[in-house]
Amino acid sequence: MSYEEIIFYIVAAVAVIGALGVVLAHNVVHSALFLILALLAVAGVFILLSAEFLAVVQVLIYGGAVAILVLFAMMLTRVRDMPQALDGPQRPIAALAAGAFLGISILAVVTTDWPGETEKITVIPFRELGDALFRTWAIPFEIASLVLVVALVGAIILARGEEGE
Amino acid sequence: MIPIKHFLVLSTIFFSLGMYGVLARRSAVLILMSVELMLQAVSINFIAFAVYLSPGEFRGLIFAVFVITVAAAEVGLALAIVLRIFRNKATANVDEVDIMKW
Amino acid sequence: MGMSEVWLIPAIPAAAFAVLLLVGKYLPRRGDWLAIGAIAASFIIFFPVLVDLLDKVDKPGFVGGGRSWDWVSFDNFRIGLGFHVDQLAIVMLAVVSFVTLMVQVYSVGYMRGDPRYGWYFTAMSLFAASMLTLVLADNLLLLYAAWEGVGFCSYLLIGFWHEKRPAAEAAKKAFITTRIGDVGFLIGIILLWREAGTFDISEIFHFAEGGGYSAQYLTLAVLFLFAGAVGKSAQFPLHVWLPDAMEGPTPVSALIHAATMVVAGVYMVARMLPLFELADPVALNVVTALGLTTVLMSATMGLTATDIKRVIAYSTINSLGLMMVALGSGSVTAAMLYLFVHGFFKALLFLGSGSVIHATERQDVADLGGLAVKMPLTATVFAIGTLSMAGIVPLSGFWAKDEILNVSGDHQNWGVYALMMLSVFITALYMTRLYILTFTGRPRDRHAWEHAHDAEPVMTVPLLLLAALTLVTGFVVFDGVGEALGFPGGFGEFVFFEESEAFHFPWDVAIISTVAALAGIVVGVYAWSGEARPARQAEEALRPVYLTLANKYYMDDLYQWVINRVVLAAGAVISWFDRNVVNDTGVDGSAELGYFSGFGMKFLETGKLPNYALGISLGVIVIAIVFLAVRV
Repeated sequence: MSYEEIIFYIVAAVAVIGALGVVLAHNVVHSALFLILALLAVAGVFILLSAEFLAVVQVLIYGGAVAILVLFAMMLTRVRDMPQALDGPQRPIAALAAGAFLGISILAVVTTDWPGETEKITVIPFRELGDALFRTWAIPFEIASLVLVVALVGAIILARGEEGE
Repeated sequence: MIPIKHFLVLSTIFFSLGMYGVLARRSAVLILMSVELMLQAVSINFIAFAVYLSPGEFRGLIFAVFVITVAAAEVGLALAIVLRIFRNKATANVDEVDIMKW
Repeated sequence: MGMSEVWLIPAIPAAAFAVLLLVGKYLPRRGDWLAIGAIAASFIIFFPVLVDLLDKVDKPGFVGGGRSWDWVSFDNFRIGLGFHVDQLAIVMLAVVSFVTLMVQVYSVGYMRGDPRYGWYFTAMSLFAASMLTLVLADNLLLLYAAWEGVGFCSYLLIGFWHEKRPAAEAAKKAFITTRIGDVGFLIGIILLWREAGTFDISEIFHFAEGGGYSAQYLTLAVLFLFAGAVGKSAQFPLHVWLPDAMEGPTPVSALIHAATMVVAGVYMVARMLPLFELADPVALNVVTALGLTTVLMSATMGLTATDIKRVIAYSTINSLGLMMVALGSGSVTAAMLYLFVHGFFKALLFLGSGSVIHATERQDVADLGGLAVKMPLTATVFAIGTLSMAGIVPLSGFWAKDEILNVSGDHQNWGVYALMMLSVFITALYMTRLYILTFTGRPRDRHAWEHAHDAEPVMTVPLLLLAALTLVTGFVVFDGVGEALGFPGGFGEFVFFEESEAFHFPWDVAIISTVAALAGIVVGVYAWSGEARPARQAEEALRPVYLTLANKYYMDDLYQWVINRVVLAAGAVISWFDRNVVNDTGVDGSAELGYFSGFGMKFLETGKLPNYALGISLGVIVIAIVFLAVRV
């Protein structure tokens, strides 16, 4: 077991604990905090994948913006934190479905013969990533920005209420 | 070096947990958080494939960038809707919003 | 103009029909002149065609002339629209065109004042066109189409006064009964076509002579063809429609149910006789057997019928049976000769009875009697017709009937011959009975008798012409007469099958038949004249026999029972199936199923987000499993 693997297991464990916390916690705020933990751990995973830029983006956006947004929403909607209020009646089936999906997916992953070298990571130069983003993938980029504008405007209108203009 | 399967299994675990959360949780906000988990899993997947299996092509990375972007936009919008519903019905529990019932 | 223009003969009445159908009611006199003009034109064109035919008939290998167009033609499948005239057809043409002309002229008087006068002539024109097409058709499909056409016109015309319930019923009965025969006919045509690959009659003959059909196959095919003749020519057991068909106007009965349509069956068998000869002898035996049965049954039924037209109808069935026996004996000459003369004297008898009906407005002999003094001309021509039917020399009926007796004596066993002679006796008997009860004796209905008078010229001239023909046409059998008229010889040398036959006079047959006929007349006079006491005594003594005959051998009742018990019962079963299985279960049931499953499924729409998410997840899992399975 090499160093990378050990580090990977640690980071993965943290991420999984965070995810478990999100879905199992009895306190909403705890769920939110677990979410932040999970998101940051995933950033770590990104670093292990030599996608540092994405790791940074992840921390900034998710950890910075999304988590705060979620917490604010929680505050505004006064989510209670009693156990029966948090988990819906579908719990057993949900567990079953999720478990089934997990089983199938792991089966698929493990039994597939992945093409190419599956052991070596190719580091992607940052400069070329930027190049690609603004040249080859310029149109999706522009559309993404359009999506953001739409979401922005939409959120403002929806959240404002009837009495506003 | 870390074999790709490790990352892929991690992403499936994330996805399954997110799926469980979406199906089992009651509050809309909590469901959204579970959706975020699922999106994370997707990003891990794409980046792993891009980095391991098709070096020289940036598709996976670019896609992950867009996933993050769109996820952020979506969360904003979805929470605005939740706020709206909360204002009308004084509840953010999804199983109490069943106006579209038969 | 010659044989190539023979297509004009059916085409002109067809055009007249189209015009009358579209604008008939706006024409002066409702267009009767157009109908009569068309058929007159056809009759006139007949003569150049005849001359051309006579010109060419002596040449070796003469098979007739005509013209044929492609109707449907692709690959090696061809249906032609062709008209072919040979000696057989020219004889039919003579009868059909002339008698139709006479009947149309007569109808001007008979149908005067009828509210549907115009429609009468329209339907008659269509009939003329169809019948002429049937005679001239050169392929079986066209013949069948024309066959159906005349059947349809018969339906229209029998049911002309369709306000009267019996007329409507009779039309339906005629159509359905002949239809049964027509199904057989069509099967026969298809069987022949299947092996030969063509509908053309001469090509089928070539094919058959070349041994293209196996003997059993050909026998089966010709028997099916004969089924059509059984229906159309009212042979036993499909004879039941003809007496009822008398509900139609009398000119219709004269034309369609005496001279032309009913002999279409005889004509068809005569034309297809080469096939009958090539088939197993059982085919011709069937023809003879049914013909003979028809002869005897109809003759005996004629003894008890009281409606004047009905008696003549039975005599028509009688004649048709005789023609079939002639064909069964293998003689086209005898059959066609009888057909030729029969057209004239039977039409004469019908039109004569029409004059009686028109004048007295009565049809039942119980209301008639003693009309000879009031209607001398009608009585005279009717007598001529009666004697011809009975077969008294030198009238045409004698020569023709003798020819038939001759060939049946030559080709059949003595039992058939004896029964044929017996039928001569019975025929003379019932025809005499009819004449006596109608024209002689004391009038039974004074009021009707007062009104009786000879008809107007437009009705009597056709009668006189037909009577004249009845007197003379018998002599065409003589070679001398034939040659004098430009024919190659007597009738036997003009119309024949395989070999021409010079006429020879069979003294023994002639004497026996004359004796039988005279005996019939004498007995008839004795039995029915005056008070008809002998007849009434016989009726009392043989009451069961009388009832059987009067009830037409109970055949109508039998058929009605079959229809009630078998056909309608089967129909009820099928109707039950259609209503319950097809409609209720199949159609309504499917609709209910859709509705019900929709109703059941609507409960899936709970409106709750987690439920929908669960649905999506389950779908994804299923797809994942499928993909995994397929890939692995």
